[in-house]
Amino acid sequence: MWSPDAATATISLQGVVTGWSEGARRLLGYVAAEVVGRAAADLLVDREATGFSPVGSEEWSGTAVLRHRDGRRVELTLHAHPSLDGGGATQAFVVTATTGTAASDRDRRMVEWAFAQSSIALSTYSAASGSWRLNAGAETDPLGEARSDEGFLRCVRRVAEEAMPMRYEGFAPAPPAAATRHRSWIVELWPVKDPVSGEVAGVGTAAFDSSEQYAARQRLALLNEAGSRIGTTLDVARTAQELADLAVPRLADFISVDLLDSVVRGEEPVPGTVDVAVMLRRVAHQSAAEGGGVPEAAVALGGIDTYPSFSPPARSLTSGRPVLSGVDDPDFARWVGEHEARAAVVREHGFHSVMATPLRARGITLGVAVFVRGKGSPPFQQDDLILAEELAGRAAVGVDNARRYTRERTNALTLQRSLLPRDTPKQAAVEVAYRYLPAGTGAGVGGDWFDVVPLSGTRVALVVGDVVGHGIHASATMGRLRTAVRTLADVDLPPDELLTHLDDLVTHLTSDDDSTVRDLPYTGGIGATCLYAVYDPVSRICTLASAGHVPPVLLLPDGTVSVVRLTPGPLLGVGGLPFEATELELPEGSLLAFYTDGLIARDRDMGLGLERLCEAMSSPVPSLEITCDAVLRAMLPESPADDVALLLARTRALHADQVAAWALPSDPAIVADARAQATRQLAAWGLQEAAFVTELVVSELVTNAIRYGDVPIGLRLIRDRTLICEVSDASSTAPHLRRARTYDEGGRGLHMVAQLTQGWGTRQTPTGKTIWAEQPLPVG
Amino acid sequence: MTEHPRAPTRPSAGGDRATHTLGLLYPPSGRKGDYTTMQLAFIGGVAEAAASHGYDMLLSPAETADDDSFRRMVGPRPEHVEGPGGAGAPRVDSATRSGDAPWFDGVPRSGDAPRADGAPRSGDAPRADGAPRGGDAPRVDGVIVMEIRREDSRVELLAAAGFPFVAIGRNHRCDGAGWVDLDFAGLASGCVRHLTDLGHRRIAFVNRSEQLFNVGYGFARLGHEGYTTAMTDAGHEPRAYLCGDDLASGEEVVTRILADDPATTSLVTMNEAALEGVYRGLTRHGRSVPRDFSVVGVAASPWAEQVSPPLTAAEIPAKEMSRVAVELMVERLRSPGSTPRHVLLKPLITLRGSTGRCHPVPGSEPEPEFPDFDLDF
Repeated sequence: MWSPDAATATISLQGVVTGWSEGARRLLGYVAAEVVGRAAADLLVDREATGFSPVGSEEWSGTAVLRHRDGRRVELTLHAHPSLDGGGATQAFVVTATTGTAASDRDRRMVEWAFAQSSIALSTYSAASGSWRLNAGAETDPLGEARSDEGFLRCVRRVAEEAMPMRYEGFAPAPPAAATRHRSWIVELWPVKDPVSGEVAGVGTAAFDSSEQYAARQRLALLNEAGSRIGTTLDVARTAQELADLAVPRLADFISVDLLDSVVRGEEPVPGTVDVAVMLRRVAHQSAAEGGGVPEAAVALGGIDTYPSFSPPARSLTSGRPVLSGVDDPDFARWVGEHEARAAVVREHGFHSVMATPLRARGITLGVAVFVRGKGSPPFQQDDLILAEELAGRAAVGVDNARRYTRERTNALTLQRSLLPRDTPKQAAVEVAYRYLPAGTGAGVGGDWFDVVPLSGTRVALVVGDVVGHGIHASATMGRLRTAVRTLADVDLPPDELLTHLDDLVTHLTSDDDSTVRDLPYTGGIGATCLYAVYDPVSRICTLASAGHVPPVLLLPDGTVSVVRLTPGPLLGVGGLPFEATELELPEGSLLAFYTDGLIARDRDMGLGLERLCEAMSSPVPSLEITCDAVLRAMLPESPADDVALLLARTRALHADQVAAWALPSDPAIVADARAQATRQLAAWGLQEAAFVTELVVSELVTNAIRYGDVPIGLRLIRDRTLICEVSDASSTAPHLRRARTYDEGGRGLHMVAQLTQGWGTRQTPTGKTIWAEQPLPVG
Repeated sequence: MTEHPRAPTRPSAGGDRATHTLGLLYPPSGRKGDYTTMQLAFIGGVAEAAASHGYDMLLSPAETADDDSFRRMVGPRPEHVEGPGGAGAPRVDSATRSGDAPWFDGVPRSGDAPRADGAPRSGDAPRADGAPRGGDAPRVDGVIVMEIRREDSRVELLAAAGFPFVAIGRNHRCDGAGWVDLDFAGLASGCVRHLTDLGHRRIAFVNRSEQLFNVGYGFARLGHEGYTTAMTDAGHEPRAYLCGDDLASGEEVVTRILADDPATTSLVTMNEAALEGVYRGLTRHGRSVPRDFSVVGVAASPWAEQVSPPLTAAEIPAKEMSRVAVELMVERLRSPGSTPRHVLLKPLITLRGSTGRCHPVPGSEPEPEFPDFDLDF
């Protein structure tokens, strides 16, 4: 128990030091004379800390912290042995103090062995010498190369400087034989400090291989990204391309996405797996090759291909399950071998591993994606197959959504286009330009419409309307309303009366719909607005009536712009409320803008929108087409939320040299005068060739008016794109085209008029009726 | 009566003396002794139509037979005049017209003619200013006469001498020759019919000046007759007014009309020169055309279109009348024996902006006879 290091002292039962050895002096610095006779507790840093009290006859051992003569702390192991007298009573204590033992030396050596032999790659870095000490694990680990990596060294220095533990992650391409494409490590670094001084003496490191976790994390990240990057649009080809862009180069070196040709053509695919001999169309591919382009592709984008039944893609298509294959699969070799271009590509790029996954969504197979790895990359693993299947699944849902959306939208747009005028009819009353813009992709087609309907007597009806809501239903309703307006316009109803009839129609449609199509996603009535205007180039009067529609904007030739003030009127289908007509006398060359609310919807405030529209209209542009574009550009955001219809009409006027009107007394003798006057007028217009027919028409219509009509009777000739002859009288009884029997006196006249002219008709006027007949102008 | 070849067959009456020229007798009627726009339209029309038949035109402002320019135009008097009755005779022997003596001596003249000083001139009489040409032959093959009065010395003389002529307008002496005229009576009555068709009953008539009416301008009397007959037939009281050919007279006549019957809602006018005054008078009396007063007339289109609102009026088809007159003249010269044609034109009333449905002066009418068409139905 004694050792050269040991220090001994004796302490009385009262705790007073009574003996002091040379060892004790070396340990604590005090000579015997300075200590003997003092309380032993005075030597302790903390008087109560030892737990030892000099009573009883028990041995005691423990640790205590004592103070050196120079003031520093000395930690010691103390042993107290009672010194007995003859009677066996304790008379004093002998205390020995030791600073180290043989056991702790062994322990220290074992720690060194543990470091050297650890299965974890450990190393220490000495800050003083700048040298590394590695254990066996670290010696064989490729991290050795990384130890010269600047990033790692910077990290080591930071740990040393900041005395803080850190974690470093490193990765490098895997050696060709490795299972994963990359190797990665996690290195824990911690500062090694002198326990006494607290100074950082060096840095300890422990490195773990995290390649598997890294690969798993990469797969997760890829999947996560797939959620946000595949299916960003409702476009089939773009969705397929998004899959290709995501998979390369992170999962594969080359990918091809093929869709069934029938899917691309918009046909409804058949549920279940597909037949082997199916035609596939390449819609997307991507390559990791540098310098852009996709040199690996054996089929060009848009090209058609079929896969032989044994090939991995065909197997995945028919089975509906992903297929992992590669050079060790005879089918792969055979597939590649049979296709010359493919064989060349495979040879050149060293393709050795493929995954084919079907694109399946909602039980329907849409196509196949083929992932390929070439030289320099490890073969696909089972985990990759699961990932590929997952990616393909997401892409398939996106493609299916896009396919369905495209089909619906195409149908709706086709329907809408078929319902809107393709080419405005020829008429001379107004010059028109128009635009229809469907809403951006979000909302689907809407129910906006417009129309230009030529009326008798060179007048023209301008119509714009809006069915609330979007989709096929709105388009179909729009079509019905437009047809109705055309029919009513053909009857030549005045605007307010026409809207009343249209209102009735909408009311009926709504009640019909309630009983038949309850499940359609719309609520309540149809909700439609309409503005109907008739412009007469002879009187230059425009008569407008509105059913809850936004008012037109008027640009006068003098440059003043205003919103036309008219009674807004109730929405169509509300019923019971009157529509009011407003009359405007327009100078020749006035520009009217009819539109739907989508045009001014960008501003929440309609007044503000109207103001902006007025502003957009006021800049003088010679061409209506250019004005159309300029107005749309000024008014609409990039992708309008609602569909927009815009119809611009610049008024023309017929002058005295194109119109002649006369009053006729109700006297059969006037017929001859009327004929002569018409002939004189035609001569003045240089249309003598039309005189024969015109005289007959005038005779017939004037005779009818005198015989059956009421005064006043009027005759009008209009020379425009056609020669129009009109006779009006104050009776509102319209004539019928009767079939004249052989011996009938009456009823022949209108037949003759109908045969000699290009068209005839009758319209009600506020003061009676007008019967008109049109004939083509003589050629030349 | 369509196109004629540029080189027409020679007028038979002229033989080799044919001049290929037509005379136009047309005194200016403008207030300063100038031609009005309307008259110029006629002159142009005749010249144009004559040229298309291969004739030139010689214009004389002669108002009476004594006018020198008229005398120079028709040349010396033939030796054997058949007298007044001969005007209608189809045959005029060319030999009888080749004499040298002036041929208008002793022609009966109308006492009504303003300057009927008609003293027979001396036989060798071509005027001092007109140097006698060789033989003093007529300078024209035929004459178109305008501004014809009820008694007109020019017509008398031409008819009596059997000189080929055509009248634009007419009097009783013109019937032996061709004429083209407007049916003024018919036009005036047409105007009345137009107004009654619109519901008017109190319709006044604004005629030309008293002087013209008395002098016997045919259209003024015919218009008056047509108006009166139409009003009487319709059971309304005719109220005709004479009115000077100027703005002030037009204003004044409206005052008279409304003083006589304040409930008057319309008028028919044949006085285009007073038209602007009529409009002004109506405005001054608070009558707005056509809302509460309708105006309809007989007028050439420039007059009718220049007022505001433009006048609803029967046109005077100057161009067509000129063309017809020349055609009648050419027919007459080609075949002197044919029965002369008479063309009465009746143009329709051209609707412009000055007439509208009758809105009776409040309190003047007992009850509307039919529902007002302006109401919505």
